[in-house]
Amino acid sequence: MRLIALLFAFFVAFPLQAQGIQQTKGNFEDKFRQLDEVLADPNVYRNASGAPGHQYWQQQADYRINATLDEDARRLTARATVTYKNNSPDTLPWIWMQLDQNIFKKDSMSELTNTFGGPGRRGPAVSAASGRAPAKLSMAELRRQQAMEDNTYGYDIKRVALSNGRTLDTTIVGTLMRIDLPTPLRPGASVSFNIDWSFNIVEENVIFARSGYEHFPDDPREGGNDIFLFAQWFPRLVAYSDYEGWHNKEFLGRGEFTLEFGNYDVTMTVPDDHIVSSTGVLANPTAVLTAQQRQRLAQARNADAPMFIVTPEEAEANEATGPTGNKSWRFTAKNVRDFAWGSSRKFAWDAQGHKQPGAENSTVMAMSFYPKEGGELWQKYSTAAVVHTMKVYSRFSFDYPYPTAQSVNGPVGGMEYPMITFNGPRTTLQDDGTRTYSESEKVFLVGVVIHEIGHIYFPMTVNSDERQWTWMDEGINSFLDSVAGYEWDPDMPWTRSLPRDLIPYMTSSQQVPIMTQSDSVLNLGPNAYGKPSAAYHILRDTILGRERFDFAMREYARRWKFKRPTPTDFFRTMEEASGTDLDWFWRGWFYTTDHVDISLDTIHKLRIDTKNPDIDLARRRQEVADEPEKVGVRLNREQGMPIWVMENPGITDFYDENDRFTVTPKDTKSYESFLEGLDDWERKVFDRAVEEDKNYYVLSFSNKGGLVMPIILGLAFADGTTEKMMIPAEIWRRNSRNVSKLLVFDKGKELTQVVLDPEWETADADVENNYYPRRIIDSRVEAFKRPAPTSRTGRDLMAEVLVKEEEKSEEEGTEPAAEPMMDQ
Amino acid sequence: MRAILALFGAVMLAWALASPAQAHRQKITISTVSHNERTGMLEVVHQVPIHDAEHALRQLGERAPDIIGNTESRHAFARYVAEKFSIVRGAEPISLDLLGTQIEGGNLVILQEAPSPGRGAELQVRSQILSAMFSTQENRVNLGIGTRVQTLVFQSGDRAKSGLLP
Repeated sequence: MRLIALLFAFFVAFPLQAQGIQQTKGNFEDKFRQLDEVLADPNVYRNASGAPGHQYWQQQADYRINATLDEDARRLTARATVTYKNNSPDTLPWIWMQLDQNIFKKDSMSELTNTFGGPGRRGPAVSAASGRAPAKLSMAELRRQQAMEDNTYGYDIKRVALSNGRTLDTTIVGTLMRIDLPTPLRPGASVSFNIDWSFNIVEENVIFARSGYEHFPDDPREGGNDIFLFAQWFPRLVAYSDYEGWHNKEFLGRGEFTLEFGNYDVTMTVPDDHIVSSTGVLANPTAVLTAQQRQRLAQARNADAPMFIVTPEEAEANEATGPTGNKSWRFTAKNVRDFAWGSSRKFAWDAQGHKQPGAENSTVMAMSFYPKEGGELWQKYSTAAVVHTMKVYSRFSFDYPYPTAQSVNGPVGGMEYPMITFNGPRTTLQDDGTRTYSESEKVFLVGVVIHEIGHIYFPMTVNSDERQWTWMDEGINSFLDSVAGYEWDPDMPWTRSLPRDLIPYMTSSQQVPIMTQSDSVLNLGPNAYGKPSAAYHILRDTILGRERFDFAMREYARRWKFKRPTPTDFFRTMEEASGTDLDWFWRGWFYTTDHVDISLDTIHKLRIDTKNPDIDLARRRQEVADEPEKVGVRLNREQGMPIWVMENPGITDFYDENDRFTVTPKDTKSYESFLEGLDDWERKVFDRAVEEDKNYYVLSFSNKGGLVMPIILGLAFADGTTEKMMIPAEIWRRNSRNVSKLLVFDKGKELTQVVLDPEWETADADVENNYYPRRIIDSRVEAFKRPAPTSRTGRDLMAEVLVKEEEKSEEEGTEPAAEPMMDQ
Repeated sequence: MRAILALFGAVMLAWALASPAQAHRQKITISTVSHNERTGMLEVVHQVPIHDAEHALRQLGERAPDIIGNTESRHAFARYVAEKFSIVRGAEPISLDLLGTQIEGGNLVILQEAPSPGRGAELQVRSQILSAMFSTQENRVNLGIGTRVQTLVFQSGDRAKSGLLP
């Protein structure tokens, strides 16, 4: 019992301890408190300015792999020689490897902890029982279960041995494997070992994976064709870092990857009618490409538009026949953190050289690989979007760092690897045999290609840890993909990551801070993509300005190119390079769930008293005269009530001739002695203020959302002019709930209206309290109902559509079509 | 055994297409339910990522849905949303009029309204938009707008949840 009590006390005490500093009296909240105890301590590996420290190190993992695809059995068999160099100051008794394919084993942690319905579920749709409704399975879930039952998935690791043949002991823990070394690996030393493995390839659509095969049963070739996409297909080194040691966190499917850089030399043996797209550069073109294909490839290097290496017609002819044997494609890649590839006889292939004068890779081959199902949509937009992405992203970071940039169509909706991305959008086959696509599908293709190619910068090159902090790469990438989207077509309905888009999420009562480990985030979309992106838009366009933000972002990218940054490094670099303390911004946006709602509560107008009774008392008299008449007096007058003084006009005295604002000699004397009492400098200041007679306004604001932000004011004046003014967020530093600000304008410049955040820059949740004087703000629904010019992406009045439909069905004498069936 | 039978008795109908993994499908809708003091109406605004909406229509059997360009597609999806979203007060369902749709950034916005039961009314809300199709679908309902918001979160199969209309 005592033990239990002690334990309990420990758990209760821990959160308090974790908070560090606490305000234990009053309710002062320091929204500007420096992130001292929140950020990691600087050290020799990561310095206090957010740059790699003077003893920064990272491990290196080089691979030579020979892989053979058995297309009929859908099985891959491979052998790798891995050379691991220990650049750390530590001696390592073992090495950990990631066996990601093991996520598909029946007893994997991912399978065992996959909830039936509920947040974080991976796999086909199901719904849990509720009330009297029984639980429901979908056909897709049943199909997945049957595939899991019928197949054995996961790695079959045959052997792990040193190059001299000596077998190494291994211990497999879920998606991880420990390899025990015969002698500990000392700092600066390397070890080489071989791994033999094979695995059955999952059907991507069935198992819900990040890679696998897709089957096309209707292709002309007997038995149909497949597209194979290989990712997480080889045992990858677990990262070993200065801040976490071995990153041995089980692969649960959502938190992506933490990886080491290395050089790769990969040979893949596939059916001889396949086309292979891969991370790296093709090292044996003469062995696998025809002379014509090689010539086209050479031409494409200097082409202004994408050129076919394999035309759609050639691909269609190719997919109708079968292989006669195998071919081995060899690709080499330098300094990549991962390696992926795709293979199919269905691929058409186009390419265009993207020029980067002066860069290490002065010509980058932008290429796309797609089946006929990708069609015209891919021909027109895939490679073009790859080139566009490099143009925009390089401005914010560095020259594209690799010789190729590829977009491959297959079963995966959107996923990124070094030099290669998998993108899902396709055309739809019509009854007449043509292929069409909707505008949304086009937007999705352009958007997803930009996004995935963008990932080659973040995190494939700026190697942040996706498993821990999805937001680090996804936030920057969602921000940059919206910037690139603006520059592709400002009207493209793609982004959902502007400040104004995030208001419904940020005001919601159920959310977690951005700084939450990825597998635990409730909803990754708005949390890791949308909210950080909105934050960067505000930093760039509102708080820092484009010049300083872009400089700082470039500096972050440059410092951490081919290195591993942490959130602390990012926060520190952005502050240091922009020359701005942003701790309040990181604290509010990344470490809390506050939202923005600033209210402009009151405006008071002030005027300097001249102290001169002739002027001031006349003003007071006028003020009283301007007051509305007393209601009782008005009613008396209207009723014709007699008034004593009017009925006794003969009885008057001094006070009937002089009101209380009459200047007396005492007033004048007091004014004179006031002036005499002023020091010279006071007199000067006073005289000038009286002379200038400026307009003084005191604006009172309250912070209802909690998140401190700059106060942006749209000012309108009686003379018809307008001004925009920004008060930095630091105004909230001593009182984060209520602040007042004095604004002074020249005589004649009278304020008539003030609007807070007039351009919707800050994600302010309540527009109504942004206006002074208050005005009636249309609700979303009211605004929608008002007639407005329709635009391309404008509104669709359901009533009009319904009327049209009714007319149509009356004409045709038929009932409107029934709704399609949903769940049963 | 009875439990197993019940389970299989409730197997959902097959979708024409399995949904491919979409690393960038947002899988989230946010609906805002608010009382408009001036008009006395209960206003409901749904935000659904356009591309998710279009994929849903395809799964519902539409051959070539086009949410941006074709009002019929939008209309079909809006009617689907109206069907999957319900508000009940006491035992009485609130009948929401479908006003129309609008495209805003990457979202399709669907608007509904009904006479409001007034501030403080206890509402039973249920949102199952796209839940039967996408396993990780999450539907959020904000009761109230601006700073005073109560959020109800729905996963596939969740029952109605109650909250007070601010």
